[in-house]
Amino acid sequence: MSVPARAGKCRDCRHFRNDPEYLERAFKGLSALSSASASVRADDGLCLMHDIYLSAESSCADFAPLKQSCGEKAS
Amino acid sequence: MSRVEADIAGQPARRSSSGWHELWLKEDWWAIWLGLGIVLIGLVLFFYGASWRWVAVTPTKWTGFAQLGAHFADNWPRYLVQFALWAAAFSLALRAMGRRPREFLPAFAFVYVLSLVVFVIGQWERANFYGFEAPLVALIFGLGLANLVGLPRWLDAGFRVELYIKTAIVLLGATVPFTLIIWAGPVAIVQASIVSLVTFGVIYFVATRLGLDRRLAATLGVGGAVCGVSAAIAISGAVGGKKEDAPIAITLVLIWAIAMIFILPFVAHQLQLSAGVGGAWIGTSEFADAAGIAAAQTYAGLVSGTGAVSGTSDQAVLAFTLMKVVGRDVWIGIWAFALAIVATTRWETGLGRKANAAEIWWRFPKFVIGFFIASLLVTAMTADYALADFNKSVNPVLVAPIKDLRSWAFIFCFLSIGLTTRFRELAAAGRKPFLAFTSGVIVNVALGFLLSAVVFASYWTNLAP
Repeated sequence: MSVPARAGKCRDCRHFRNDPEYLERAFKGLSALSSASASVRADDGLCLMHDIYLSAESSCADFAPLKQSCGEKAS
Repeated sequence: MSRVEADIAGQPARRSSSGWHELWLKEDWWAIWLGLGIVLIGLVLFFYGASWRWVAVTPTKWTGFAQLGAHFADNWPRYLVQFALWAAAFSLALRAMGRRPREFLPAFAFVYVLSLVVFVIGQWERANFYGFEAPLVALIFGLGLANLVGLPRWLDAGFRVELYIKTAIVLLGATVPFTLIIWAGPVAIVQASIVSLVTFGVIYFVATRLGLDRRLAATLGVGGAVCGVSAAIAISGAVGGKKEDAPIAITLVLIWAIAMIFILPFVAHQLQLSAGVGGAWIGTSEFADAAGIAAAQTYAGLVSGTGAVSGTSDQAVLAFTLMKVVGRDVWIGIWAFALAIVATTRWETGLGRKANAAEIWWRFPKFVIGFFIASLLVTAMTADYALADFNKSVNPVLVAPIKDLRSWAFIFCFLSIGLTTRFRELAAAGRKPFLAFTSGVIVNVALGFLLSAVVFASYWTNLAP
């Protein structure tokens, strides 16, 4: 995961998912003693490209803007 | 279609809850709005000679079914109104956070009816004799239904553990004198800091010695040291953990937290720890707020029901709250910031960001602010009352109804813990993470006992609400 100088942030990347309902489905048991809507989570989410859970402020060379159509570079 | 595209096709848009958006998109803030709303309305009613009393109905203590029947025959409209108010308040909050009230309402009706059954069982005169403490009944009931019977998925919409417990903790603040928080807070913070640093150190050391990835080691370490699942997801995000790290931590925290709900109160009772000491020990050694409150409430029930140990049930809950919420939870942002610095400068995770001190605020458990404000409000507004007048005029009209509403929110929470814990669905943790986390559990429980029952014993014993 190298980072080019002008890469966008994960929060604007199509590989990034941080919707609370999505995360509660992805992390089984999360809602039993916590919640994806808790302040402590901030805006963290899952990167489906690299299979990591990270801050929305992160960025990497594989950044793909949200507007990109599904047929373009998906992986 | 790639996996990414398949996933995107069926998923909602990503959400940004930073900045002012947080005020209506995060559960912590909604717990503050709901909790402080109840407290403020209670204060207004109080100064106009009225009260939440009528709405804050709870099942009466009973010895026979005839007595119970008479109670419900007389009071069913109060339960209906109370249900409607809870449902409206939680629906409003969940709607603002992007959830669907249409799914929540029927599920919450299920939670409310089951909570009523649990409350009734807990109010049976012989309940204490048989060990039927309401938190344990709720938990066992919920676990049994979720794991042995099975429930339809649509009911999950009503099992909002965190919203219920955070609202209850804000309400708890209204019953705690602010002067007591100022007096007790520093010791709680010192004790919590010692235990948190040692527990994190042990888990991290054992985990890395066993060859686990440093990010997983940090996630497990803070999960055990600070506030369980919430801490684990915060740290996993801050250090850029692998997708499977957080589920491993969730599994381990959940198993140990539920085990400790049953173990800590009964061991504390066997050791005849005073209410304050027992509450502080639970606050130091439980892993999550919701599970900890369940354990502390259980101990409170044992204290008041058996009379075998000194202190009051309120002391147990108060000591727990000071220790866990004031002492431990508030550090999560600092842990996240510190570990983000380490991860981005030394672990070469390629996160493409610099650690940002603002993270301390972003991740701060905001509901704690509501706990402080509620305490400050009630303390300031009733400061002119002498103790005798307070007990005669303020307590039954203002404080007691808030306590009863808090009890309902606690039971919604305890029941929801059980109903959402499906053991078969949890991720396999693996032997090494289990060993690392368990080593921290052992040290945490022993050190928590030493600090609560020996080093600071006189302090916690004399904690007076």
